[in-house]
Amino acid sequence: MPVNRHVPLVRREALGGAYHLLTFRHPEAAREARAGQFVMIKAGTSAEPPLRRPFSILAVDPPEDTFSLFVKAVGPGSRALCSMREGEPAQCLAPLGRAFTPPPPGTEALMVAGGYGIAPFRLFAGELPRAGGRGRVFYGGRTADDLPLRERFEPLGVPVVPATEDGSLGASGRVTVPLEAYLDRRPGPVRLYACGPEAMLHAVARLAEARGLPAELSLDPWMGCGIGTCLGCVVSAQRADEARPRYRCACTEGPVFDAAAVVWPGEAESLARRRALAGVGRLAAGERS
Amino acid sequence: MNLAVEVAGLRFKNPLIAASGTFGYGVEYEGILDLSRLGGIVSKGLYMEPRDGCPTPRIVETPAGLLNAIGLQGVGVRAFAREVLPRLARHDTVVLVNVCGDTVEEYAEVARVLDDAPGVHGLEVNISCPNVKKGGMAFGGDPVMTHEVVGAVRRATRLPVIPKLSPNVADITVFARAAEDAGADALSCINTLLGLAVDVETRRPRLAFGTGGLSGPAIRPIAVRMAWQAARAVKIPVIGIGGVSCGADALEFLIAGCRAVQIGTANFVDPGLYDRLNGEIEEYLGRHGLADVNEVVGTLRYPGMEPGRTPA
Repeated sequence: MPVNRHVPLVRREALGGAYHLLTFRHPEAAREARAGQFVMIKAGTSAEPPLRRPFSILAVDPPEDTFSLFVKAVGPGSRALCSMREGEPAQCLAPLGRAFTPPPPGTEALMVAGGYGIAPFRLFAGELPRAGGRGRVFYGGRTADDLPLRERFEPLGVPVVPATEDGSLGASGRVTVPLEAYLDRRPGPVRLYACGPEAMLHAVARLAEARGLPAELSLDPWMGCGIGTCLGCVVSAQRADEARPRYRCACTEGPVFDAAAVVWPGEAESLARRRALAGVGRLAAGERS
Repeated sequence: MNLAVEVAGLRFKNPLIAASGTFGYGVEYEGILDLSRLGGIVSKGLYMEPRDGCPTPRIVETPAGLLNAIGLQGVGVRAFAREVLPRLARHDTVVLVNVCGDTVEEYAEVARVLDDAPGVHGLEVNISCPNVKKGGMAFGGDPVMTHEVVGAVRRATRLPVIPKLSPNVADITVFARAAEDAGADALSCINTLLGLAVDVETRRPRLAFGTGGLSGPAIRPIAVRMAWQAARAVKIPVIGIGGVSCGADALEFLIAGCRAVQIGTANFVDPGLYDRLNGEIEEYLGRHGLADVNEVVGTLRYPGMEPGRTPA
């Protein structure tokens, strides 16, 4: 159950460029948050900008009663958060939304992150051993400077495969380049999990479709409230058993969606529905219908 | 210290009511805040049937405001009556339901369904939504249609009828009087202002629907002016709406002649704001030696005008 409170900033760590790691005290979120869930947060009580912003939860520390966010200062809301001083309060509602579904035991979680889309995967990587799973992160950005969290997965035993568009680190090009290369080597059973820009998510969805792999996407539309009342953040989605797509709140029915259920702009129905109508039936393990 | 107010024969334990479209069906807030601390809530607008609403993007932040084109996505009035009303009945607060329709007859039909449903205390009539192609603002922008819709709802229910007026008109008093004449028990003033935000890179509207409704602190002075004009034009009470986010904001509407105030966009900014606002109103009353919030209603010292209390 989400809890609305004023949360003091406990720590602020500058990670270079516009990137920051912000730690806030929020006991309920620290105890209950699961990977893929998010917070709605706003620095202070100033009138501008009006709305809270959604951020994936990067990490939790239950003994310290804190959660951490990975924030890139790009607009007025994120800039205000990144210029908070320690001890100052933010307004915060957390934890919110649907978490990632852990992979079945023996299945490898392939986490595909674009830029600050890396945020939910640190918590997820930490949860994998408990679920009996293992994982691998494909971490893409424009340059090496856009991958400031690349060193933070090794302590969790999860390898990071970087990709940069300018070739300054790791594979050269989009993050799907090393992902495809890995899949071409025919690993054991895998599930895809992706968070990042919409074009990247769509590419991962197409790739999952082409290879018949289950995939979950964390979507990031503009949000007003975080709890399903403003209906601003809806995503068109359709399960296999639904005759027509339905707008679903990314804040309450997401932000994590089954990739096969998403109805992409310009498309009339979801992959899940098309498969059902074609009589393909259930595919890979883990696909919800 | 008395914060209770009476509007349209309904007793609200304090003058703060959650506005339609900003509070879902109320039950979404169960567990996050105590709904019995609110004077009342107004549900998201309801038609006879479920509605998909507008394509996305649906909301965009603007200076001190929010521009939205949601398009009245909803579950339909029967599902609301069946699934939501029993849950709302567990909370000690006034439940108003926002009634929509594509036609005059649909408004009356929705009102009839709600008239038979336990747990509904009053109907707010949505003749002011700017984000639908039929009904909504198309009715609220024409005084003859305003009269017709309000009259049809009036005849369909015994519940208090509270039309929600549009600010997208030249003279709101014409519409306030038309609604009063058609049998309204109170008025909600105002809905959102029609706006347009442009993405200069793509040269397209930033909302998929095109235009949208502007809310938030940006519209408050316009809302206070129009609620004040409406309150002076009619004998029925007016509920003020528009950009309230602190106790002083709510007091502006009350002083201007409103008997209660709705909280809209501020619900998104801080869902826990009701206790804070009521506390700020109490602090104000104490500082001014007043024991009852009703004592401030209609006490605006406007140059050249006598302060006039508006009737309950």
